[in-house]
Amino acid sequence: MMKTEKIVFDIKNLNLFYGETQALKNIEFPIYEKEVTALIGPSGCGKSTFLRTLNRMNDLVESCKISGDVSFNDENIYQTGMDVIGLRKRVGMVFQKPNPFPMSIYDNIVYGPKCQGIKGKAELNEIVETSLKQAALWEEVKDRLKESALSLSGGQQQRLCIARTIAMKPEVILMDEPTSALDPVATAKIEDLIIELKQNYTIVIVTHNMQQAARISDRTAFFLLGEIVEYGDTSHVFSTPDQKKTEEYITGRFG
Amino acid sequence: MQSREGWVMSMLSKRKINDGIMTGITYGSSFISLVVLLSIIIYVFANGIKLLNWDLVTHNFEAVSYIADLKDGTGPGNFTVDRDFDEGIYYSEKWGVALKDDTNLLGKNVVVVHYVHPDSPFKELNNKGVGTVDLALTLDYEVIRIAFVDSASALSVRGSEIMIAILDANDSFRELEFSTTGGGIRGSIVTTLYLIFFTLVFALPIGVGSAIYLNEYAKNTKFTRLIRSLIETLTGVPSIIYGLMGLAIFVPLTISLTSATGGNIISGSMTLAVILMPIIIRTTEESLKVVPDDYRYASLSLGASKTQTTFKVILPNAFAGILTATLLAIGRIIGESAALVFAIGTAIKDQVSITDKSTSLAVHIWAMMTDEPANIELSTTIAIIILMMVLILNFTIKILSKRFMRRYGVKA
Repeated sequence: MMKTEKIVFDIKNLNLFYGETQALKNIEFPIYEKEVTALIGPSGCGKSTFLRTLNRMNDLVESCKISGDVSFNDENIYQTGMDVIGLRKRVGMVFQKPNPFPMSIYDNIVYGPKCQGIKGKAELNEIVETSLKQAALWEEVKDRLKESALSLSGGQQQRLCIARTIAMKPEVILMDEPTSALDPVATAKIEDLIIELKQNYTIVIVTHNMQQAARISDRTAFFLLGEIVEYGDTSHVFSTPDQKKTEEYITGRFG
Repeated sequence: MQSREGWVMSMLSKRKINDGIMTGITYGSSFISLVVLLSIIIYVFANGIKLLNWDLVTHNFEAVSYIADLKDGTGPGNFTVDRDFDEGIYYSEKWGVALKDDTNLLGKNVVVVHYVHPDSPFKELNNKGVGTVDLALTLDYEVIRIAFVDSASALSVRGSEIMIAILDANDSFRELEFSTTGGGIRGSIVTTLYLIFFTLVFALPIGVGSAIYLNEYAKNTKFTRLIRSLIETLTGVPSIIYGLMGLAIFVPLTISLTSATGGNIISGSMTLAVILMPIIIRTTEESLKVVPDDYRYASLSLGASKTQTTFKVILPNAFAGILTATLLAIGRIIGESAALVFAIGTAIKDQVSITDKSTSLAVHIWAMMTDEPANIELSTTIAIIILMMVLILNFTIKILSKRFMRRYGVKA
């Protein structure tokens, strides 16, 4: 498989503290463009925390302190004077629980673009159609765009959240266990969607589902107690892991 | 020594008794509160329903009285009518006027005009008071006094039958005093509506704004905790103290800024706004707290700023809570009296101006009860009207909010 090998995120010596507790220790690995990078590991190992450092959502936690280097397209996102709002525009995020706003489907999609000052009706309609099509939701909702987003099923809501993120035309989409609240059918649809989206976007996904990681990701990082135990090509990590801990976790001996 | 089974049985029966007592207490308390609330409502309606009519709501409080005498060339005649009057209505064929006993809006006994013959001298009277316009005695005027040249005056307190009898016995009269019906509460209703409007205009933006600051922006420091406990303390301060503050600060302030010369609706609204602010801040903050953080994260991750997140996502979701705050506020505005006695005064007005003294319905009750003798009937009637106003306002706001929520896409 040919890979473009362009590094989007380069993380160097990243340490993160919640108050006195160290949640991430010396994290170092690259994230490549137009690939799916899976973050796996047992609960509380720091993978979601790590994911939120990539779009600076950890800023919302008052006690959170960060040291080290997180470069996004060769720019340190933790440097002073960083445009965080601009960063979040380019690095979108999908959450564990589908969290559409209690507005209409249409308004959910145009929320982000409107916040950026896009006002033209035609342009907004265009954004709604393309993002819903990219999120494979258009056929299901095109006749009821004015209905409340809360009337959709859980899987549809999650695809709406992905469409809402796509509407911002990001470079990277971060996904924090996007299928953990969904049934197997909805999960399969999201997985197909992720593989589809890989052509245009860089995707970083946190998952507890080993099969999912193996199925959809190109590279895998295994987290344990705030440290990276192993990082490499997914095929390598899942078939012949270098570390014993990785093998034990993947085969389900702990976790 | 007790057997094990006996011990278990005694524990069970003990628990049964305990459970029975506790259940009994909860049943009893809810029964007592129900009885108390019902008896208040029954008392208010039983006392007040007699005086409740549309005239009370539309009429002025001040009665305008007139003094008149006969025009030259007019006098008694023979004004027969081919109709019978009901019992209690007394007609003078000599003067062509029918009077009856009645109670006015205030519940006082008065003599009112029931019928005036088209040719009666009372149709055109000479104005002896202020102004030069001719007067005419018409339906529903209250006749207060008729003074004669050589017999004692006929006073309304002695009733319409005696008044007609005295009138029939005389060929002319020196002076007739009559008045429009007073005692209406129109002015006080208008004042109350003004107070609701202006108080909400002052209190809602400041209260909701403070709540947003405390919940969304302020860091959890000693200082913000101090502000919170201060706000909590303020909800417990007696309103009469706020009234003093209104008198000391807002009354002079409005006097210096407007044409007001004393307490007025604006100073009253400002005082009420201060009373309401802690309630609005607390209720709004509670409703902001329950907006799921998921929405905040979603909005911020979409590149929205903190302010955009607050005003486009958080605030509309807290709408129900802000509405509750508004309803509580309206109830408080309508019900407040002690603070208003100082802040706008107790003068009952028919011509309401926002920079002038006037009185809300609650203070109107206070004024009626401090009258000599206390007018309990009218007070309870006003209480019924206050209850109905609160009901109507609540329903209106609920309907409006349902529309808003539907437009916003929330399933109400």
